[in-house]
Amino acid sequence: MTTGAPQRADRQRLVLTVALLSLALLWLLPVVWVLVTSLKLTENIVRLPPEWIPWPATAGHYHEVLFSSSRTARIGRAFLNSLVISIGTVILVVTTSAMAAYPLARMRFPGRDLVFVILIGSLMIPNAVVLVPQYALTQQLGWLSTYQGLIVPEAAMTFAFGVFLLRQFFVTMPGELQDAALIDGANAWQVFWRIVLPLSQPVLAALAIFAFRSAWNDFLWPLIAVNKPDMFPLPVALALLRGAYASESYGPIMAGAILSAIPLLVVFIVANRRIVEGVRLSGLKG
Amino acid sequence: MSAAAGRRRRRHARTAYLFLAPGLLLFVVFRLYPLLEGLRLSFTNARLGRATQQYVGFANYARLAEDARFHVSLANTAFYTIASTLPVLVIPLVLALALNRGALRNLLRSLFFFPFTLSVVTVGLAWLWLLDPVVGPFNYYLRRLGAPAHSWLAEPQTAMWAIIVTTVWWVTGYYLVIYLAGLQDIPRDLYEAAALDGAGGWRSFWAITLPLLRPVLLFVVVTHVIGSFQLFGQVFVLTGGGPGDATRTVVQHLYETAFQNFFQFGAASAMAWVLFAIVLGFSVLQFRLLRGHTEY
Repeated sequence: MTTGAPQRADRQRLVLTVALLSLALLWLLPVVWVLVTSLKLTENIVRLPPEWIPWPATAGHYHEVLFSSSRTARIGRAFLNSLVISIGTVILVVTTSAMAAYPLARMRFPGRDLVFVILIGSLMIPNAVVLVPQYALTQQLGWLSTYQGLIVPEAAMTFAFGVFLLRQFFVTMPGELQDAALIDGANAWQVFWRIVLPLSQPVLAALAIFAFRSAWNDFLWPLIAVNKPDMFPLPVALALLRGAYASESYGPIMAGAILSAIPLLVVFIVANRRIVEGVRLSGLKG
Repeated sequence: MSAAAGRRRRRHARTAYLFLAPGLLLFVVFRLYPLLEGLRLSFTNARLGRATQQYVGFANYARLAEDARFHVSLANTAFYTIASTLPVLVIPLVLALALNRGALRNLLRSLFFFPFTLSVVTVGLAWLWLLDPVVGPFNYYLRRLGAPAHSWLAEPQTAMWAIIVTTVWWVTGYYLVIYLAGLQDIPRDLYEAAALDGAGGWRSFWAITLPLLRPVLLFVVVTHVIGSFQLFGQVFVLTGGGPGDATRTVVQHLYETAFQNFFQFGAASAMAWVLFAIVLGFSVLQFRLLRGHTEY
């Protein structure tokens, strides 16, 4: 008699979990459909009723978008561009944010609070608002259609958030180790480099993933800052690929879409906890 | 003594600013300067490639007041923002509450989060294909269920809703993670105490969960509204602003004014600042409304 209630609770939990699992799989159907389409022979793609098993399967669409020399399908090249841009952005954002967050968290100096308030306030600036002057500036620098013309503005977009995220973490670090090092004659740079950074690896990783994701997926800025097809990052190349193929040939487009998802999927599987932690910390800014 | 202290303090400040220098340079040149330069440009007749520019006072803003397409874009953007806020607020919350009770929490969280790792273009292409009026699976299954098929993206009544559905699918996992983190921060003994007092699940949701989630709800609304006013990528891929101007948004209008039609940088900058003012106004308003009474 006494075990009745817990048993019912267990059964409810099981039903709930099964329902949620089904919902999650349903939720992912659009992605599955893209993957299935990318593996089908062209003549099988538009068949009705929809076939959810790509048989016979082909890697032809992947081969086409990666290696074909046609004018439009330069997904292979765009993939490399996106990698260079995203990794460059990560390095620049993590370096500048960490260096800026350290004194903001652990030093007293005139203007500190003002600098911090301005940086936090800038989180409210929509990217679209700075688009036109940023374009004019990039053009004056001769940076249109270059890697630096994509990396530097991209890093500037994420910098303030990086400072916010890292400062939050640096403030809560115990100060004894740093004080001891300072008393032993280490300078601020050595403390930052040898003590603060090594102890901050989790939050640095979270910021790196955040910066990678926003650079990898950004669309609007590269759409206007690049006008040479050889320099397109993936989102721009994909969007234009859509225009290049007639609507009935979804195969190559879906292959390109799957390719663009792979790096973040890998990061996501390898560093799942870091991503969740990063999102969690980002949510604290409210 | 005090001279030495002053020297030490100055050296301290110099060290601090040396650390700050690279980041501040990046920030001032590529963030602060463009923001203010945009304000200046909005009072000029600047165009790409035109060597000279004159100050034209509020002419760009006056023209915006009469630009019917800008008004349509603004109305569409506002509609999208308002219509998408409730689903974005509620769906991830319901999922988070359910996930928090069931098993496999981390696995389920990952599955729902996955779409958020995709770029807006990838998401747009996937839904474009799903919603294809002739060969898309969505319409096929609708027909099988006996419902009429639609060209969801080509009909003015449904196009914006299709964009909303796409966006909700894309961002739900992100807000789910934020809600779950918020739920974890609520002390368990509050629920235990409430249960002892005889409060049921529904009661404790209203009396404990919702009030304590208030900062998280605020974050979700503010983030979503700021993002919504910048809606662009989904529209660019899914509808191109059509049919007619039914899904044209402010950022799309700005993009076309600045980079497609005559490169009118002055006029586009005026739009940018109107957008900025709206976003800022909304953020302040929401902070006021939701921050109002946070003591329990």
